[in-house]
Amino acid sequence: MPDQAVATGGADGPDGARSAPSAGPAAVRVEGLWKRFGDQVAVAGIDLELPAGQFIGLVGPNGAGKTTTLSMVTGLLRPDMGRVLVAGHDVWSDPVEVKSRIGVLPEGLRLFERLSGRELLGYMGRLRGLPGEETDKRATQLLDVLDLAGSQHKLVVDYSTGMRKKIGLAAALLHNPEVLFLDEPFEGVDPVSAQTIRGVLERYTSSGATVVFSSHVMELVESLCDWVAVMAAGRIRAAGPLADVRGGAPSLQAAFLELVGAGGRDAGDSLDWLGGQAAR
Amino acid sequence: MSAASASAPAAGRASAAAPPAAAAVNLTSVFLRLKLSLIRNGLKGSSKRKAAYFTSLALSLAVACLAMVGLAVLHGNAHAGTVVVLLAAILALGWTFMPLFFPSGDETLDPSRLVMLPLRPRPLVRALLASSLVGIGPLFTVCLAVGSVVAVARGAAGIVAAVVAAPLLVLGCVTLARSVATANVRLLTSRKGRDLALLSGLLIAIGAQVANFASQRLFESGGLARLEPAEAVVRWLPPATAVGMVDSASKGSYGTAAGQLAVTVLALVLLLRFWERSLTALMVTPDGSTIAAAKPSGKRESEGGAGAWAFLPAGRTGAVMQRALRYVVRDPKTKSAWVTALAVGAIVPVFNALQGTGSMYLACFGAGMLGMQMYNQFGQDTSAFWMVAQTISTPREAFEELRARAYALALVTVPYTVVLTAVTAALLEDWAALPAGLGVGLALLGSMLCTGALASARFPYSIPTDGAFKNVAPGQGGLAWAGIFGGMLVSALICSPVIALTVFLNVTDQQSLTWIVLPLGAAWGTFAAWAGLRLAAPTVARTLPEILLAVSKG
Repeated sequence: MPDQAVATGGADGPDGARSAPSAGPAAVRVEGLWKRFGDQVAVAGIDLELPAGQFIGLVGPNGAGKTTTLSMVTGLLRPDMGRVLVAGHDVWSDPVEVKSRIGVLPEGLRLFERLSGRELLGYMGRLRGLPGEETDKRATQLLDVLDLAGSQHKLVVDYSTGMRKKIGLAAALLHNPEVLFLDEPFEGVDPVSAQTIRGVLERYTSSGATVVFSSHVMELVESLCDWVAVMAAGRIRAAGPLADVRGGAPSLQAAFLELVGAGGRDAGDSLDWLGGQAAR
Repeated sequence: MSAASASAPAAGRASAAAPPAAAAVNLTSVFLRLKLSLIRNGLKGSSKRKAAYFTSLALSLAVACLAMVGLAVLHGNAHAGTVVVLLAAILALGWTFMPLFFPSGDETLDPSRLVMLPLRPRPLVRALLASSLVGIGPLFTVCLAVGSVVAVARGAAGIVAAVVAAPLLVLGCVTLARSVATANVRLLTSRKGRDLALLSGLLIAIGAQVANFASQRLFESGGLARLEPAEAVVRWLPPATAVGMVDSASKGSYGTAAGQLAVTVLALVLLLRFWERSLTALMVTPDGSTIAAAKPSGKRESEGGAGAWAFLPAGRTGAVMQRALRYVVRDPKTKSAWVTALAVGAIVPVFNALQGTGSMYLACFGAGMLGMQMYNQFGQDTSAFWMVAQTISTPREAFEELRARAYALALVTVPYTVVLTAVTAALLEDWAALPAGLGVGLALLGSMLCTGALASARFPYSIPTDGAFKNVAPGQGGLAWAGIFGGMLVSALICSPVIALTVFLNVTDQQSLTWIVLPLGAAWGTFAAWAGLRLAAPTVARTLPEILLAVSKG
């Protein structure tokens, strides 16, 4: 894919990343992160070092702990144990340094939906401490680029899923963060909006910023990411440059199924009655 | 809903060749059975729901029987005709507006679910009408209708008229409700309709207050005779005409009775026709929501902070105030809470003053009601609180956030309290008490802001966005009550010095000095609010994830 070539070309390439992961400072460093909900362990001791300036995919099946991990990394959920550093600053002891450096698009949390798209951006920008004029200028540009200019005065509550993701992305980008965390940014998004989001994110990473996003769509991750971490049952199964994680497997999908131990499962003969040519 | 667009060909096919199966099955009995099984299935599993259903059934039956007996006892009373005619009108009015504010979730009555089925309009209307006669509401109405006609029926003609009138009244009410609901189904299934339904709590709260005062006034001032002019008009308005007919027939005015019967029947037929037509239109035209979505919107204010908003301070303070005030207008739950507070806060002092039982200090009620809105500030944000949490990293920022919310509240409450106190003073013709009343009101508001900020920080709970009467997520009720009741007690405690001073000045007959309560109360309130915000801010900044967790439930 041509855009993948551009994206990886912009970073230091898979080989460089593999030989020296600590060439640049890590954008995010996670140490011994744990989270338990009642009896269920959602995240069971994660150590990760995410390189700066890359497009990073966090992949895993449903319930793997991706959302919990991202929530803890972005300061929205308090971990039971462990430490998270963003650009060298501790998320929990030094929120002033961290919160201005990150942008977040969580999954499953609402927005201020009784504001219009434009009002939401104006509100977020001012909360972030941007001057009013600058906020409005950036909002106009983001709304244009994300194809939301036509519905900027509609209330967010009346937006479609794709439009919500896009306005959420705009709100996360407004203060020009160093690291962007996106939880399932392409979930439920139509191909046109997905391409728009993709274009914005590629432009953003090519300037040296870091994007961390979670997904369970392997083709998407494979075509977008330079670096992936595979999660299952609250643990990291593999992490590194895309080519390394894929290894000898024909695709990331195959490698992923292998890693999470779901390879070789087949419908088999149990549904032999199903199909157009069946006798009855 | 997308099914609606596919329904046109389905309807076309249906009319081209009537399906033999549909003709064989009696649609009315299918719908009746469907309704009964839906009621039965709705009660399955949850013992809580079962208990609630049977309690409300028993309760409404008890009330209905009492009302029926009460009405029957009116038999022979000079005002019986007036009472039952007006009652029938109120009943019809209730049925008309009920579906708009209380969509009962009756699936047999939702035409959009039937859109893919090859049904003809007329049998469908018959079936829907029959199934909507099943339920607690219709049962209640039947009792009232029977009671009403019994109250006025005299003589053979009266009894015959009564036998005709009771079913006509019930049918009229039910048809009214169904046709209004059908005509508005697009609205009711849209976001705007759901918003409207959330305002029903407000209607009840305000309605109860007004009804309370109105009934007091009615019984104080000459009684039912005052209602006769209204009754003279209403007895010609269907479906109250049905009851009017019984009264006329009993009095021997057979011409009038015939006229009223004609009006009743004609109105019912027209209503059924209207229902049938809107039902047909609904089922063969595309869903309005898709049309609306395709239309580009090109209105609203100019970009940036234009208009009156420009007067708000810049930065977080202005942005938060603007958001809070916009939510008062746009968010149905917030709007409902605010309008209830504003209305009840005004009704209590003003109506009491009008009845001569008023007091200057009742005007503080409004300040207290609005002050309650400071409680659970972050729960009002729902899980969108994460957006706020992302921008708070110091106690200072938390303080600014809380302060801006308090400003937004004060921006409305302070002028409101001033006006309300002035109106109360004018009605009581007691201008001397105005400064003290206002002073106590402001002190109370300040203490409510203080405890509200603290409760918001310590006892956040989530407010479900659906259901007009669900204001606390399951399992958080204790938390909510602890916050609100504890807070109100502490508020009373905090402004007790100001209250004590007022009482002291009044008791010791130093009325000429009561003006001092105004500056003192204002200063005390401001200080209390400031201190509360200051104390709450570090907690907010420290427990952002915990608050987010608490307000994201349900």
